[in-house]
Amino acid sequence: MAEMGNYLDGDVAAELRSHIETHLAHCRTCQVIYDSSRKTLQIVTESGSFDLPEAAARPIAESVMVRIRGQRIESRKAQ
Amino acid sequence: MSYLREVEVGASFPPFTTFREYFGHVPNLFRAQTILPRVIEAEAGLASAVLYSRHALSQLSKERMMLALAAAQGNIYCVTARHQLLGLLGVAEDDLGQWIADYRQAGLSAADTALLDFALKLATEGPAVSRDDVQRAVAEGWNDETILESVLIAAWSNFRRTLAAGLGPAPEFEPVSIPAARLTRSPDLPRRDDATRRSGPYLRAPKCTPADSPAFALLREEFGFVPNLFRAQTLRPDTIEAESRAFRDLLFTGDVLARIRKEFILLAVSAANRNTYCVAVHTEILATLGVPAADADQIAMDHRQARLTVADRALLDFAVKLAAEPSTFGAGDIEGLRGQGFSEEQILEAVVMTAFATFLNTVQMGLGAEPDFAPRQLFQPAASKRVHLLAEEARPTEGNPLTDPDAEAVTRVQSGDVDAFEDLVNRHSRRVYRTLVGILGNPEEACDAVQETFLKAFRHLGDFQGRSRFSTWLVSIAHDTGIELLRSRKPVQSLDDERFESEEGFRPQQVRAWTDNPEQLYSKAETQALVEASVMKLPAKYRVVLVLRDMEHLSIEETAAALGLGIPALKARLLRGRLMVREALAPHFGRSVKGGAA
Repeated sequence: MAEMGNYLDGDVAAELRSHIETHLAHCRTCQVIYDSSRKTLQIVTESGSFDLPEAAARPIAESVMVRIRGQRIESRKAQ
Repeated sequence: MSYLREVEVGASFPPFTTFREYFGHVPNLFRAQTILPRVIEAEAGLASAVLYSRHALSQLSKERMMLALAAAQGNIYCVTARHQLLGLLGVAEDDLGQWIADYRQAGLSAADTALLDFALKLATEGPAVSRDDVQRAVAEGWNDETILESVLIAAWSNFRRTLAAGLGPAPEFEPVSIPAARLTRSPDLPRRDDATRRSGPYLRAPKCTPADSPAFALLREEFGFVPNLFRAQTLRPDTIEAESRAFRDLLFTGDVLARIRKEFILLAVSAANRNTYCVAVHTEILATLGVPAADADQIAMDHRQARLTVADRALLDFAVKLAAEPSTFGAGDIEGLRGQGFSEEQILEAVVMTAFATFLNTVQMGLGAEPDFAPRQLFQPAASKRVHLLAEEARPTEGNPLTDPDAEAVTRVQSGDVDAFEDLVNRHSRRVYRTLVGILGNPEEACDAVQETFLKAFRHLGDFQGRSRFSTWLVSIAHDTGIELLRSRKPVQSLDDERFESEEGFRPQQVRAWTDNPEQLYSKAETQALVEASVMKLPAKYRVVLVLRDMEHLSIEETAAALGLGIPALKARLLRGRLMVREALAPHFGRSVKGGAA
C-alpha cells in the first residue's frame, strides 16, 4: 500500500514493480483499489479544476501592477 | 493572373502607391489579393519597414540578397521580380546570372558573401541557425543593425515565397530560369555541440516598455504580454510597429476566418517549421482562448490526429502543405479548400496567415529570442540525440539557470524594468491561484491572496538568486501567504491538524470496482465540480500537495522545495490525499452506478 503512490507515478524499481504486479494479479481488493486510484488520478489531473476564471485574471494583474509601481524593490544588483 | 478572384481597388489605394513607387508597377502578387484589401495594407507596411526604407544596407545589397534567396528556393516569380528591379538599378546581366547561379563565385567581398551565407541558411535551414552563425557575420565586421536587417530580409523572402506559392501570380516579365545545378544550401561549416549554447538573444536589444512603444502596448493588450520575439527587435522600432499593425490587420480580425482558426494555423505552421518558441507561445495563447493544452499539443504534433472538425483539418492540411512543401503546392490545393466550403476571402486569409507565420518563425530563428514559456515537449529529433533547441525534460532539475524560462524577465525587473513584472504575473497567476485555492478553499479569498503573493514576490525579488526556478520560489511564497491567512482565520486549526494520525490508520473503505470509462460518465463541468468538492473535503495539508503535484504538474522535487517538505513526507501526503479523493469520488463512479459509459 505504501508503494502505491510510486507505482501510480511509474516510479518503482524493476524488482519491486514485478513484486507488486504479482500481488495485484491475485489480490482482488488491491486490484480494485489500484484501478480506481489510477482512474482517480486521471480524472483529477485532467479535470482542470480550480482554474482561475479569465475574467478575474486581468483585474488581478492590473491591480498588482498599480500597487507595485508605487514601490521600488530592494535590488541587490547595481542599476 | 493567379489562383484567386481579383477585383478593382481605387486608383489611390495607398499600398498600391507604395508599390508603384518602389517597383514602378503594382506586382501581381499583391493584385492577387484585392478581394481583401486589409491584408495588402498589412503587407505594404511590412515591406516598407523591412525592405523599401533605407537603414543599414543599401538597396542594392538588399535586392541582391532577395534575389539569391529566391533563386535558392526555386521561386521563379520572385527571381523574375528581383532580376527586373536590379536591372533597372544598373546591374549587369552577367552579374545577375552569377548571383542567381552561385553568389559565392561572383567575386563578392568575403564580408558580403558571409552575410549572404547567413541569410541563406536562415531562410532555408532556420532551425539549424545558432549563435555561431551570427558570430561569423560579426567576425566579418557586420554590426548588429545590419545583421538584424538581414534576418528581416530572410524572413521577408520566406514570406513572399509562401505567398507566391499559395497565390500563383504570373510573373510580370519574361520568367527568368534558374539553373538546375545551383547552390541550394549554405556551405558546410563546423557545427557546435548545441549543449554549449549560451542563452539569450543573439543581438543587442535596447530595453523598451509599453509606455514608450504603442506597438508594445497593442501587443500586450491583445496577447496579455509582449513576446520576447518583439523585445529582441528593439533596434528597429519601425519593424515592430509594422509587425504589430500586421497582427492588427491579419490576426485580431474575425470577419473572415475566426481568430481561433488563425491561431491554429500559426500553431500548426510553426510546428511544421520546427520552431519551438512559436509553438509554445501559440499554445499559451490558445489556452487563453479556451483550447486545452493537450489539444494544442496534438495539433502541433500531428493535426490529423487532433480533435478538429473536417473543415479545420482541411484548413490545416492546406496551411502545413503550403509552409512545408511550397514547390508542390498548386491550384488543386486551393480548389480543395473551396470544396470544403471556404470562401475566396477565407482561402486568401489562410495563405496570408501561413506566410506571416513563416515570417515570424524565421525572425525568431534569426534572433534567438528566448522562450516566453516552457517549451512544449513535442519534437523527437531525427537522430536520437537530444538537441537543446528542440526538447526539454518535462520537469527539469532544479537550479539549472538554462532551464528557467523566467530568468530573463526576473533579471529585467531586478535591473529596474518594473513593467517586465507584469509578464511574470500573467504567466503564473493561474498556478498561484490554484495553490491558494488549494490551501484556503475559497475563490474570493484566493484572488486577494494572489495579489498579496505577487506583491510579496516583487518586494523580495532582490533576494531571489536563481537557486531554484522562479516559479518554484513563487509557489513557496503563495504557500506561505496561504498558511498565514489560514492561521489568522482560524487560530486553532493548523495545517498539521490530524484526523488520521498514522499511515496504518487509513484504510480504504470503498472497494467496489469502478466503471470502465469514468471520465465519460459526466459532463466536463460536472466532473470538475465533483473533483473540486472531493478535493475540498481533504485536510489542507493533503489538499495543497495534491493540487501542486496532480493539477499543476510540478515535479516531486519542485513541490517538495516549494512546500519545504522532505520527499518521503511529501509522497506520504500525496498518497493519502489521492486515496481520500478516491474515497470521495467512488460513490459516483462505482460500476453499478449509471450503468455504463455515456
